[in-house]
Amino acid sequence: MTEVKECKKMLETIKLSKNFKDKKVVDEINLFLGEGESVGLLGPNGAGKSTTISMISSLLKPTSGDVKLNGKSMIKDAAEMRRILGVVPQEIALYEELSAYENLKFFGRAYQVPKDKIEDRIQNVLEMVGLKDRQKELIKTFSGGMKRRINIAAALLHEPKILIFDEPTVGIDPQSRNHILETVRELNVKHGTTVLYTSHYMEEVEQLCNRVYIMDHGKVIASGTKSELLSILSSEDTIQVQLNKKSDVLLTEIKSFNHVYQVDETDEGLRIISRKGSNILSDLVHAAEKAGIQIVNYQVEIPSLEDVFLHLTGKTLRD
Amino acid sequence: MGSFIKKDLLVFWRDRKEMLMTLLLPIIIIVVLNYAFAGIFNDDKEATKLDIAFVQVDDEEKGFVQFKERIQQLGLSQAEKETMLEHVENLSPITLIRNFINNPDVKEWVNAKELTWEEATDQVESGELDAIIRVPEGFTYEVLSTVMLGDKSTTALTIHAAKQSTEVTTLQNIVNEFVNSLNMNFALGREGTLSAAEPILPQGGREVVEGIDTYTISQYFIIAIGTLFGLFLAQSVALKTVTEKRERVFNRILLTNSNPMHFLLGKTVSTFILAWLQLMITITVTQLLLNIFPDKSVSFWFGMVLVFTSFSLMVAGLSAIFTSITLNLKDSNAVSGLTTLIIMSLGVLGGSFFPLEGFPELLQRIGEWTPNGLTMIAMIEYIQFSQFSDLLLPIVVLVAMSVVCFVIGMFMFPKRGRV
Repeated sequence: MTEVKECKKMLETIKLSKNFKDKKVVDEINLFLGEGESVGLLGPNGAGKSTTISMISSLLKPTSGDVKLNGKSMIKDAAEMRRILGVVPQEIALYEELSAYENLKFFGRAYQVPKDKIEDRIQNVLEMVGLKDRQKELIKTFSGGMKRRINIAAALLHEPKILIFDEPTVGIDPQSRNHILETVRELNVKHGTTVLYTSHYMEEVEQLCNRVYIMDHGKVIASGTKSELLSILSSEDTIQVQLNKKSDVLLTEIKSFNHVYQVDETDEGLRIISRKGSNILSDLVHAAEKAGIQIVNYQVEIPSLEDVFLHLTGKTLRD
Repeated sequence: MGSFIKKDLLVFWRDRKEMLMTLLLPIIIIVVLNYAFAGIFNDDKEATKLDIAFVQVDDEEKGFVQFKERIQQLGLSQAEKETMLEHVENLSPITLIRNFINNPDVKEWVNAKELTWEEATDQVESGELDAIIRVPEGFTYEVLSTVMLGDKSTTALTIHAAKQSTEVTTLQNIVNEFVNSLNMNFALGREGTLSAAEPILPQGGREVVEGIDTYTISQYFIIAIGTLFGLFLAQSVALKTVTEKRERVFNRILLTNSNPMHFLLGKTVSTFILAWLQLMITITVTQLLLNIFPDKSVSFWFGMVLVFTSFSLMVAGLSAIFTSITLNLKDSNAVSGLTTLIIMSLGVLGGSFFPLEGFPELLQRIGEWTPNGLTMIAMIEYIQFSQFSDLLLPIVVLVAMSVVCFVIGMFMFPKRGRV
């Protein structure tokens, strides 16, 4: 995760909410994007990420709350927002029967790119996504990864200042995935484009984003830089213990230790969550000897964002 | 907006299956229906003409001699005998039958040639001929005896056919009517007019009024099928919108700052172009294949193009409504079902499946206000009267309807944030 830049708020949501009938899908979300920042939006399926993006991009009217661009509300008139916002949707929002070039030309015209600039823009974005030599081919003949790259290219034609990526690497090959990640990084670092990036892949967010918002059940449950989020877990140690065989007696014995909060069985042994810095190793060795079990490996894990997510939501990102 | 039109036309063009269906299916259906119904509706006189043989077995001269001898043997006064013989001199039943067959009205139905009985039966069996009119032996004597002396006839003109058909039955009816009228004329003593006796054609069918062309079943098909497929084109375009909505392409368009109405206008204009091309190709190809509108003037074709252009505008207007319905409904099956229901209703009411004349008065009135029904009525009148002025009102109504439909489509078009 890159360092946090000091920057002014470019895009901001204030108590943004959306109800579908009686169901609150997004519940008073407050988030902001600083100019030139790359911000991650994490959350399991159904957390409300896509609905939030739809409201920010003016596709969906919020039930309540506000979306501000440089301090100006965009709820009633989002034309200014649309001019500087590019959205890469989760779906391949392209015409399958048209070629890559024809798609880009159509969307370029729809984005009102001037006629004398459109050719250059198309070639530039094709160059950026590495598909310049395939531009005459129909989208329906492309692989999933190539389609996703053109999907990104179509959002870049009007040279947006803010780019929202809604899970842009779902279901693609590693090569295309790397290419997309490089493109996002290049846009953010080299071109100074502000990025809001949602993904199921924690490592992508760790790699690309300065700050992260974690959503669950329509709410932001945590936000901050990586170190800020990891500090949530600063009061705990996660210990992986590999045993030569499983033992219910040992499990029960460990649960009774002081400072141990949680013990779970894993494929190879046990996962113990204990108070930070509490040394349980000697007690563990003693208990194992008593139960006739041999400890094969003992490792205190360095917490990751995945652990933070698990800790906060009780589920993994791909649940 | 040009990019929207170009995009819609390209998307349609690249869907080769749909394109072929749109362009070829109406042509195929018109050609098939034309051949299937040609015999029943008897439009094509050449195709339904009867080839018959006229076989004279009777010796007319012998019949006359035989009849004269009989008169001489009757107990009549010499003056009566001479009057009767004078009448007989002017009579020739077989010549009357020949004249009947060669009558222009009958000739439209019948190709007759004189053959011997053997030749005729061979040709009927081989399928070269449809039927034989046989003048049996003793026919002249019998006819003269019947009409002059009131004898009971035992010999009759016979028609032989290998298989019964509508045409053969019709010929039998015509011949019977002719023979009856012949007998009646003789009985009334107006033999002098017999040479001008006209065949009495079967009652029913379409009445032909002097100076007015009738429209043919092929012409009906081309208008009915052409307009019906035009209506279906509006549905095809709407169903393309289902795909655009499902694959979020429509959302992506909304994310651009272009006016959403350009999307609707693009659909409308491209539908107009496609409907117009579809109709023009259908008319041109079927005309070249079937010569459905023979000997029509350039001005007739110009009028027809104008009517179908107005109809294409109407289809475009309808596509605006269908597109907005598609964007408002969440279920694509509901879109398909609803648009099909609308088109089928218009098809039935507008006479695209059955001619409007067969409908009750109220349904006819309603049908006249459907786009296809209005086009049908305008074209049928135009085919019959060739009066360009008759087209003006339907053209104005069709254009007005298309504008109304487009405005409805615009109002139904969802606002941003509601799709």
